[in-house]
Amino acid sequence: MKKVEPTGPAPLLEVNDLTVSFAARAGTTTVVHGISFSVERNQTVGIVGESGSGKSMTSLAIMGLLPAKSSTTGGIKLQGEEILGASERHLRKLRGEKMAMVFQDPLSSLNPYYTVGMQIAEAYKAHRGGSMRAAKLVAADAMGRVGITDAKRRVDHYPHQFSGGMRQRIMIAMAMCCEPDLLIADEPTTALDVTVQAQILELMAQLQDESGTGMVFITHDLAVVSQVSQHVLVMNKGRVVESGSTEEIFSNPQDVYTQALLDAIPRIDDPIRALKKVDTGLVNDK
Amino acid sequence: MSMLPAGLLNEPGEVTSEPHEGPSSTRGRSSTFRRITSAMFASPAAMLSAGFIILIVLIAIAAPLLVKVSGWDPFQYDDSAINPDLGGLPIAPWGGISAEHWFGVEPQSGRDVFARIVYGARVSLTIAFSAAAITTIVGVVLGMLAGFFGGWVDQVISRVMDFLMAFPSLIFMIALLSALPAGNRPVLLVMVLCIFGWPYIARVIRGQTMSLARREFVEAAQASGASKAAIVFKEILPNLTGTIIVLVTLAIPGYIGTEAALSFLGVGVVPPTPSWGQMIAMAVPWYATDPMFFFVPGLFLFLTVLSFTVFGDHLSRAIDTGETQK
Amino acid sequence: MITYLIRRVLAAVGVLALVALLTYWIFFALSADPAVMICGKTCSPERIDQIRATLGVDQPFMTQFFTFIGGIFAGRTYGTGANAIECAAPCLGFSFQTNQSVLEMIGDRMPVSITIAVGAAILWLLIGVSAGVLSAVKQGTWWDKAAMMVALSGISLPNYFIALVLQYVLVVELQILPFPSTPAFGDDPMFWFKSYLMPWTVLAFGYASMYARLTRTNMIDTLGENFIRTARAKGLGSGLVLGRHALRPSLTPIVTLFGMDFAGLLGGALITETVFGLNGVGKLTSDAISKNDQPVIMGVTLMAALFVIVANIIVDVLYTTLDPRVRTKVA
Repeated sequence: MKKVEPTGPAPLLEVNDLTVSFAARAGTTTVVHGISFSVERNQTVGIVGESGSGKSMTSLAIMGLLPAKSSTTGGIKLQGEEILGASERHLRKLRGEKMAMVFQDPLSSLNPYYTVGMQIAEAYKAHRGGSMRAAKLVAADAMGRVGITDAKRRVDHYPHQFSGGMRQRIMIAMAMCCEPDLLIADEPTTALDVTVQAQILELMAQLQDESGTGMVFITHDLAVVSQVSQHVLVMNKGRVVESGSTEEIFSNPQDVYTQALLDAIPRIDDPIRALKKVDTGLVNDK
Repeated sequence: MSMLPAGLLNEPGEVTSEPHEGPSSTRGRSSTFRRITSAMFASPAAMLSAGFIILIVLIAIAAPLLVKVSGWDPFQYDDSAINPDLGGLPIAPWGGISAEHWFGVEPQSGRDVFARIVYGARVSLTIAFSAAAITTIVGVVLGMLAGFFGGWVDQVISRVMDFLMAFPSLIFMIALLSALPAGNRPVLLVMVLCIFGWPYIARVIRGQTMSLARREFVEAAQASGASKAAIVFKEILPNLTGTIIVLVTLAIPGYIGTEAALSFLGVGVVPPTPSWGQMIAMAVPWYATDPMFFFVPGLFLFLTVLSFTVFGDHLSRAIDTGETQK
Repeated sequence: MITYLIRRVLAAVGVLALVALLTYWIFFALSADPAVMICGKTCSPERIDQIRATLGVDQPFMTQFFTFIGGIFAGRTYGTGANAIECAAPCLGFSFQTNQSVLEMIGDRMPVSITIAVGAAILWLLIGVSAGVLSAVKQGTWWDKAAMMVALSGISLPNYFIALVLQYVLVVELQILPFPSTPAFGDDPMFWFKSYLMPWTVLAFGYASMYARLTRTNMIDTLGENFIRTARAKGLGSGLVLGRHALRPSLTPIVTLFGMDFAGLLGGALITETVFGLNGVGKLTSDAISKNDQPVIMGVTLMAALFVIVANIIVDVLYTTLDPRVRTKVA
């Protein structure tokens, strides 16, 4: 595990020895064990792991959105400021403004009772104030920027009237409308078709180029991670088992679990290897 | 609430629309069963209500025996316990409660309230349990038919259910009971409760069957050539067990309440056969002078309905969480 | 939307016709001979035949039924010649007991039933929904547990029992309220309010309990939804998260339920009115049933069914405007 030592200006996000645990019926269950990493501006850090490996809990901990019955130790610094344990009032100001999040399932993540324009607008209005009408104009603009055609008309449509890919574009527009410094994307393409997935990844890369936003990209899909991120953390059972530059990890995996994950990717040139099961005993964490 | 099976009508949110259990395997089901019972045993409220239900059921079964011990049968007049100069009010205070009459006596007749409560439990529980058993069978069969076969079968059953549920059922039950020849009142009551009660069970079962029929294990059974009957009874029915148990437990208090209301309104159980609702009705003219007389049957009715509701509530929650923790 | 409405109205007419036929069949075919009832036991056979002919009950069942239905739409005439009695549309016939027009009888009693229903509805919505929301937000606290215990008792207590207990305590013993009655509002508004307070409370208690439980369940479900997490991730305050994002999805199903419950009560709060002796449609119904006054029973049953069925349509249409997912599908 690589220890991050701050040199020069503070990094955009610095997670230090973060531990997340839940009170359960029999004692406590720890879902994240002392993980550390940092994200710079304009950089994407990928976190890979299977479901239950603690990657989503890490992202919720950064946003301060963990359920009330959880407890956290360690440190999370956003632009040098400690935000772990900050007041709800203060966190609310940071959420949406400095750090934003895109979730896995865009349909259930949007409120079915309100228009998408209103839902983007309220995010903008919460931080920048002004009238709802002005915020709606910003929303239409944001929807246009994420590639929704006829955005002026479609701001008044409801989430169920969009396709899955379009909904995720709306989620991205919502997250980006206040130009946050940090964007956390939790499996943003998992629920989408492969072709749509590629479009969304391209859109995110393009937006990052324009804004310089630092990004944490969470996925179980190594192929996706190799495409988007410069730095990768491999998580298993709440621990970081390996981290390094994307190139290092993919060309020379050190950890047996990472090797197993890489082996599980089907390859056109090696059909036999593609069928080999991941049987290191580490994968099945139930 | 004056409407039909209170438990079912009122709590659409309480019975989850998703089937409780996954594919049935003997081991998985017995461990689920153990988890549910241990959750029930851990809750004092569930245990208290279960205790009261058992007590009432025992009282109902042992009514003839209890009455022998107390010394008064429910139809026996006791002129010595009432004061004819005061219009037949009980002589002893608190509605005539004494060593002789444990829960007091009825004004005017002097009949023993304890004996009538005990026999009333018998009548109320018999009617409610019979209605619950019949509506469950009818509701489960018709609900599964509608949910599994769909098409015109579903159309017919669903329209009948809509029709019965759009009915002003309380008015109609009263009207029907008053129009029908006297006959065997308890049987008529069960019939009327069943006619308007089964759609509330069938509706839930239909929804769950529809979602179960789309599950992989049912599709697998279909693909392997199992007959429709085999699929319904071997694959779908076992997976509805949890739901059915909850529905029955919540239907019973509804029927007890409705039977009491109908008897209270004078179209239910006819005197001299006692029923709790009818006892409260008889106490109405006396409520100011002999409040104990309406309070005793009211308390028994309340505690019985409450116990079933609390128990059903906990059971439904235990089955739900038992499933999510699997 | 229009075709949907037309389809719904046609279905409703069908259901109403079925209710009418069934009710008519039960009361006119299974019940005692109304002519004997009206005339008494000492009546001569000729007189009974004459009454039968006037009422039309000497006709075959289906003829009788269609005459009855015809009366509703076009009016009808009872008897012939000099004794003929006109009954203008919508004609529901005359009471066997009082000879009054059934329609007028129901019309006279409606204001009382409406007053009871509206007052109780306001009470139970205010108390039930706010208690449910509060319980969901403060889930697991002593407030939540206490409120849910009261609500459980509320759905388990028969309302005629609560009525008697309240009347005994508040009227007989403490004497802080008058006996429930139905005074005119204009005479003495305070007395009017006090007279109706107990019926409202008794009727509202059960419904409030049920609504509190349902609101709580819906609200807890909604608070677990992903879009609530999204709303928080946007940086919205808890007021907006609860008031805007959680409340609307939680309360939409309550609107449906409320429509049906309220419509049911317009057909008379049968038990409450009977226990307190208030002259609403519910009391009219129970009196008519106990005296086997068939035309009145027929009239109130049809009217109650009409309210429920109309409410059903209104609620469904309302639902399409409240839930965008349904609205865009229907339109």
